[in-house]
Order: sequence, then C-alpha cells, then structure tokens
Amino acid sequence: MSISRILTQLLLGISLVIFLGCSSGNDTSETSDATSDTESTSSRSPDSSNPDATKKAESSDRTDDSEEPFVLGDLVEPFDPPALTEIESQVTWNDMPIKDSYELLKDRQASETPMASVEEALDLKNTDGEQNRKILSAMGRLPAATSEIDLDATWNRHTAGDVKSTNPMMMSSSAEFDVAGLTGFGLFGFDWTFEPFASTDTVISWQTSQNGLYDKVTMRNDLTWSDGTLITAHDVEFSYKVIMSSLVPVPAVRSGTEQLKYVKAYDDQTVVFFHKESLATNVWNINFPIIAKHVYENTISEDPTLEQSDAHAKLDADPVTGGPYVLVKRERGQEIELERRPSYYTFKGKEVRDKPHFKKVRFRIIEDPNTSLLALKRGDIEELQLTPEQWQTQTENEDFYDNNTKVYDIEWVYFYFGWNCDTVFFEDRRVRQAMGYAFDHQEMLAEHRYNMDQPCTGIFHYTSRWAPEVSPEPLLQDLDRAETLLEEAGWTDSDGDGVLDKDINGTRVPFEFSILVSQRQDRIDICNLLRENLENIGIICNVRPMEFTVLQDRARKHQFQAAFAGWGTGTDPDTSENLWTTKAIDQGRNYVKYSNTEVDALFEKGKRELDPEERRKIYQKIHLLLWEDQPYTWLFFRNAYFGFNKSLRGYNFSARGPYNYGPGEGAIFKPAVAF
Amino acid sequence: MFSYLIRRVLLGILTLVLITFVVYGLIRNMPGSPLDTDPRMTDPSRMPNPADIERMERLYGLDKPWYTAYFTWMRNMVVNRDMGQSFVHHEPVVTVIGEKFYPTLKLSVSSLTLTYLLSIPLGLYSTARSGRTDERIFTTVLYMLYSFPTFVAALFLQLLFAIKLAGTPFELPLFGMTSDGHAQMNAVQQAMDELRHMLLPVTCYTYGSLAYLSRFIKSNMEEAIRQDYIRTARAKGLGPFRVYVFHAFRNTLIPFVTLIGLSLPALLSGSIILEQIFSWPGMGRLFFESIGRRDYGVIMGLTLLFSVLTLLGQLLADMLYAFLDPRITFK
Repeated sequence: MSISRILTQLLLGISLVIFLGCSSGNDTSETSDATSDTESTSSRSPDSSNPDATKKAESSDRTDDSEEPFVLGDLVEPFDPPALTEIESQVTWNDMPIKDSYELLKDRQASETPMASVEEALDLKNTDGEQNRKILSAMGRLPAATSEIDLDATWNRHTAGDVKSTNPMMMSSSAEFDVAGLTGFGLFGFDWTFEPFASTDTVISWQTSQNGLYDKVTMRNDLTWSDGTLITAHDVEFSYKVIMSSLVPVPAVRSGTEQLKYVKAYDDQTVVFFHKESLATNVWNINFPIIAKHVYENTISEDPTLEQSDAHAKLDADPVTGGPYVLVKRERGQEIELERRPSYYTFKGKEVRDKPHFKKVRFRIIEDPNTSLLALKRGDIEELQLTPEQWQTQTENEDFYDNNTKVYDIEWVYFYFGWNCDTVFFEDRRVRQAMGYAFDHQEMLAEHRYNMDQPCTGIFHYTSRWAPEVSPEPLLQDLDRAETLLEEAGWTDSDGDGVLDKDINGTRVPFEFSILVSQRQDRIDICNLLRENLENIGIICNVRPMEFTVLQDRARKHQFQAAFAGWGTGTDPDTSENLWTTKAIDQGRNYVKYSNTEVDALFEKGKRELDPEERRKIYQKIHLLLWEDQPYTWLFFRNAYFGFNKSLRGYNFSARGPYNYGPGEGAIFKPAVAF
Repeated sequence: MFSYLIRRVLLGILTLVLITFVVYGLIRNMPGSPLDTDPRMTDPSRMPNPADIERMERLYGLDKPWYTAYFTWMRNMVVNRDMGQSFVHHEPVVTVIGEKFYPTLKLSVSSLTLTYLLSIPLGLYSTARSGRTDERIFTTVLYMLYSFPTFVAALFLQLLFAIKLAGTPFELPLFGMTSDGHAQMNAVQQAMDELRHMLLPVTCYTYGSLAYLSRFIKSNMEEAIRQDYIRTARAKGLGPFRVYVFHAFRNTLIPFVTLIGLSLPALLSGSIILEQIFSWPGMGRLFFESIGRRDYGVIMGLTLLFSVLTLLGQLLADMLYAFLDPRITFK
C-alpha cells in the first residue's frame, strides 16, 4: 500500500516537472532592427526612402514568427520611381504582342485540314500513331460559331491531388494550377510554343522600352473581381509588394519577381514594371499571380502567411477570384466546384469578353489510379491522365470506348540516369559516356515504355526551337564501345574477378555503385535493366528504391552515386540554368555537381541576348555541350496520355500537356445537342 | 480503486510524453524534410534563393534542434491547446484531424458493430455444430475470406456493383461519401445516399475480421461448455439456446468485452488502402500522406490521438474486466 502511494506521488512529481518545463521554455524573441524606411500597408509614398536602409534583415534569432511586425514589400530595394512623364520623355517604346489565344488557335486550325470528321473519329480505336493523329485532329477542332457550343454544360474533371489552397499566391501543385487556370487573373499568357503575349481579355496595350529596362501595360477598365470591385493596376502593384514581403512564404514565385526592380501603378490602368537589367527573361518576371488589394490589405498584417488567421481561412473557403470562374463548393479531399460568373465576361450589362464555355466545372479528387479509370469508364469524370499501362491494357475494349476516347501527344518531360560527377566513378566523362553505350535503350523503349515514348537525346526536345538543328542520334547499346571507353578511363579487370577496378591513390577500387530510384515499379524495372546490362561489362550496380522524400533529400545533399529521375520543362530555356550551372550546385538543383565554365558562360550570355536567333544558337550550343559531357544518360521523353469523354471537343496539346497554356482548357467545349 | 485510477492516469501521461518524445525525435531525424515535397519549393523551373529557403525553414520550425522544437510543440499544446499548423494542408492540425473524425468513425463504427453482430451468431453456430461437415465448410469459407486481400476485394466489388450492375437497382456508387446533388436531397434521401456509399467500404472492412472473431468466440465457448455447470444445466433439461447463450456465452463475455476495449484505437486508425480506393477522406490516408510529406504537426497530432486511444482502451479493458469478473479487484 505504501509503495503504491510512493509511486503515485513520484509520478505526480515527474508530471509536474515536465509541465513546468513546457510552460516556461525559451520564447525570448528578439525583435529585429526594423529599419524605418518601411511603408505602411498602403502604397509606398515616393519620398520616404531611406538610402541607408539595407534589404530587410532576416531576424535569425527570432523564435516565434508572430513577434515580428509585418512590413509590406520589405524585400524591395529602396527605389524612388520617377513620374510617368519623366519616363515617357526618356524612353522609346516598342509595341509588344497582345493576343487572344483562342483566336490564335482558330487561325492555326484554319490552315489545317482535319484528318477525319468527328463522327469518324468517335468510331476509331486509338491503336497506332495514325489513328491518334486522326482523333486529335478531329476532336481538337474549335467550333465555327458559338451556337455550336452547349454553354450550359458541366465539365467533370479529375485531379489526383487535393487543392490545399485557393489563394493564387500560394497555389503550387498541379491540382492547384488546374483550378488557378480557371479562377486566376493575369495580364500575360503564352501559347503552345511558349511565346509570351499579353492577353486581349485584360490588356489594352503593352510596350517594352528599347533599353529593356521598362515594361508598360495599360489594363482594360472593364475588369471586376468576383465581389464586384474593379480590378486595377493597384492590385498588380500590391501583389508585387506582397510577394516581396519576407514574411509571406512564396519562395518560388519570388524567384521571378525579385529580379524586378519595382512595379508602380501610376493610375487605375497604367502599370510600369522596372527591371534591374535588360534580360531576355524579363518578360517572364512580369507574369506573377495577382490578388485583390482591397481584400488582403486589411488582413495581411495580422497573418502574413495568408493561411492561418480566421479571415484568411474564410477567404480560402470562399475566395475572391479575378478569372472566369468562382468557387461555389469545396469539400476537402473530395471535390471542388466552380461556376462561371457573368461579372467576368460582362460589364455594365454588355458582353465584353468571350463567354467561357462551361457553366460549371467540377473537379473530382480521386487519388487511386484504378478507381479513376473506373470513374472515367462510368462517366463520373470526363478526363483523365492515363499511365502507359492503362493505355496499353485497360483502355482497349468496349467498356472504355462506349463513353470515351483517348489521345496522346508529345510532352517535354524526360527521364534520365544522373551520374554524380563528384564520385571516383563518374568524374570522368568517358565513364559517363560508357554508361550510355552500355544501356540497352531499345529494350527499355520497347518493353518498358511499350514503344510509345520517344528516345531523349538531350535537354531540349527535337520539336523545341532551342534544340540543335540536327538533334544528336539516339544512343544504341554498344558494349564494345563502352568497354573501350572504360579502359581509356583506367577501368580494367586487373585482378580477374569479373569486376572492373581502378587504382585510385594506391587503393584498388572495384566498380560497384548504387543507383537511387523512387518506389515505383516501372522505374525500378528500368534500373534493373541497367543493372543487367552493366553486369555484362563487369560493373556492379545496386538498385536502391527509396521513398520519394528521402530521394529528394539525398539528391539535394549530393549524397548519392547515381539516381533515376525526371524533369519537366519551363517555358523559357533559362529555367534550366538551375540544373546545369556551377553556382546551382549549392544554390540550385544541380544534384550531379556538373561544372563546365563554358556552359556557365553560355547561360549568362543567353539571359542577356535579346536577338531571338542569336539566343537560339546559345541554347543549341548548351544542348550539344551537355550531350558531349553526358552528366545524365538521357533516356526517354514521356508523352502525355489522356482519356477524354466522347462529349468533349476542342482539346489541343502544348508541350506541357493540354492545359495551363493559352488557350488550353479555355478551348474545350461540349457541342450543343444538334451537333 | 481511486488510487489505482490515478496511478494509471499518471502512468499514462508519462507514457504519452515518452511516446511523443521518441516519435518526434524519430520523424525529425528521418532523412527528408517538409520542404522536399512542398510544391512551393519543388518547381524545377524556379529556384528559391538561399535567404528564402532559410525563411521557409524558420516558418516550418526546422531551424531549431528537434528537442527544442519538441518542447515548443508540447508547450503550445498544453498551454495554448494549439497543435500548430499543417505544412501540407495549410490549416490548423486540429482542423485537419478533426475533419477526418466523422468519415472514419462512420466506417469503423459500422464495421465494428457489424463484425460483432455477425461474429457472435457465427461463433455460436460453429460451437453448436462443431466437427460437422457444414461447420467445417463454413469455417473454411471464412478463412478464405480472411486471406482474400481487401484491395482486391474492393476492386472486384467496384467492378461488379458500380460497373457491371450500373443502371440496375443494385448499382452502388464507385467512390466518395456522397453523390452530386446530395445537398438538394431531403433527409431520408440523404440518409439513403450516405448508406449506399458506405456499403462497399464497410463490406471490405468487415469480411476479413469475421473469421478471426468467430474463431475467438468459438475457442472460448469450447472451453466454457466443458465446465461442470454446463453439464448440470444440460442434465436439468435446459434447451440448447439457454445452455449455450444464456449460460456458456455469458461467461465468455469477459475476454470478448476486453477485446472491445482494446479495439478502441482501431475506431480511428482507418485503412490507408481502402480509403484511397474509395476516395474516402479518412485517418489512414491522412497518416500515410503526412509521413510521406513529413507533415510533423499532423504526425504528432495523430500519434498523440492513437496513443491516448490505446491507453484509454487498455484502461477500459482492465476496468471492464474487473467489473465483469467479481473475482478480480484492484489491489
């Protein structure tokens, strides 16, 4: 009895100690040296700049975010924008393209003859490239007149991931981009060849100064947010400042806007973007997400993370949108429903923009690929990205073709073996080239990619204008050549044990390495093929599947010898700078630690070269240099495979898939009953 | 008994602290961080600058060593009743987990109830007909069900009820908790709609445990019916129902009921695979996704939840055991 009493009291004591320990804790938060040039939440007054004020100091001793006061635009270097008249007097303007991407597509199709009628295409089964082209050509045709469109239709879409945030600043996953494509407001877009333009829907004029340091945009005056307030240039300036506030967690978006010097709204319609340097990439930096100033200027200082406060949670559930659609229903993890808003395409009772094709767009969130395919077959969803396996074996029969058809097109996503150039194995270029010759590319393409994907011969796809005039020939397996290259690099089987080795600093090192891959069977199979191929020439390759997060971690820390992975493509070739330059080893995604001063110099040059032809040549040269050096063994480009319900028309692909370019999803429609 | 309870509760709290401390240490020291999978950081065409990476690390609490961060988490929870923000869902952890309660309980309570309701007669039937051919066939079928993987069963059921029987009165929905237009239905229609959506997932949850539980009941019953008092009851001329159910089964309730207490954590743990297949917003999928995405707040919240449930379940089982069996006391 007394022992239990002692025990009880002991436990009480321990619990008390722990509780006290937690209640105190060290939450001393040193407030940072807030410099005084910072403005209030409204727009910056021109003469408050303090020339000594440095870029906002990161308060590295801060332990609790909420202690630091929010300062709008604290990352913007102090700058006093000149009056507009002053700029006008000094600058020569060049007009820049303002386009309607829908009309662009119509023009393109006017010069193309469809390879089949819609009725024929709907009867076809997509069994080879010829059928595919016919179906794409027929089903992608835009309607001749608006009367052909069923403007009251609903489009049931699919996403595999949930939309975690509806704030355009925070949207970053592919599911979020799909929603943002319908609800977001923007001044700029790009077409299927990734040529940027300003949108006729939102812009009256766009001009760039001859010296490349200014971009001036005059917005339309008939734009409204979904709550009725006018969209003005002040929203653009405010959004820029929000992105450039240190407490707002938008690192990816900021990587573009931090290259701007300033953004100034001179009146409700005129906004000028100031650039630090005259770069060819400036045109992409001015394309950033825009949020409503009248909504967020009141809520942001309380919660710069844009997601924690009650006000922001409410906004997330019911956002104020600037695009054609507004959110009407959101069930997390289940579905999101958007509805067309008349206030987008009408102004003061008149129709001022094209009426978006669908009355409602519903996104169903289904993670499981099998369930998604069944849902497509049933008609619960009307579009789905298919895996090659689903394409080959599960979409052949009547149960699929009753309601659906399928198409594929080129996508600039490539997969590769990456060789860590900072290892004794792969530091020599000849060894990396040997890897490319040792691998059986033909078998991979035939057996693992079902003869559907194309071989990849470098960072730019042969249809890209950045690819060399003559793309390199795809590698074919050549074990003899591989062995010769390895021998030249010093790898021979000196001790006769069947494994190549090399004398490095007095130690005999066998050629045995590990390749990291994520836990997907199709990828593991390709690595196993590599392992088998390398066994034939005396190299031991250990395949190590691992969780995706761990793979990312190892890659980032360069703690690997080889890895299998893939990359998508950006709209500008300069975006691959963060993969291939020396500075990107520590600060970028140059996981393989590739370093070539000529490539570094070419990237710097390519940024600054304004002449399109000259710029092309620079990136073509980079492509060829990388191909020579083989830091990757480039394997294949993966196509975009989609299943679409037979009721849909108007889908056309860019090199990044059927959506998120101009016109993209905006062109898709369902025909009116008579058609 | 009161001091026993106090002791158990305090011991439980200490256990919780230990569990959460160890788990937090483990997850923070796992390779990878939330930034490795956050789409805001992984767009390959954009490279955040180092200062921004540092800011994100600070926002996620990754700049502190894990034991400091653990105490901050503990303090926030105990003092402010705040479990922090989910990195993945951009909502408070409490909200994220709370949203999954109802869907998970819907399936688990139904499934558990159904399992117990079905297993009892099955177990009793097995006992009564023990050794006979029909009982042998029956047990074999149950074991076949037990070994049939739930994700295969789910797919087959989907193919049958959602695809093949589409358009018939037997059609069942393919996925999700509710149909379109659920909000426009009246109360009865809504209840029917929810019920129809639950049928396939609950079936998959339930069929596997029937074999296990009915076997459990049978083995306990086998022991009980060999007792002398059962022989007496039979000798007195009591019918089989009275003998088996009223006398023997009641005395096997003790281990049976403690099993209920121990299955308390199972009420909220969900099933990763079934939730994914049926697109059911449950705890299992949440837990799995949180680990893969290193969403420390949610992982800790769920760990705490399951630990509390397990400890409560054990306490409940012990209490019930002592309550039901007068021979057991708390000394």
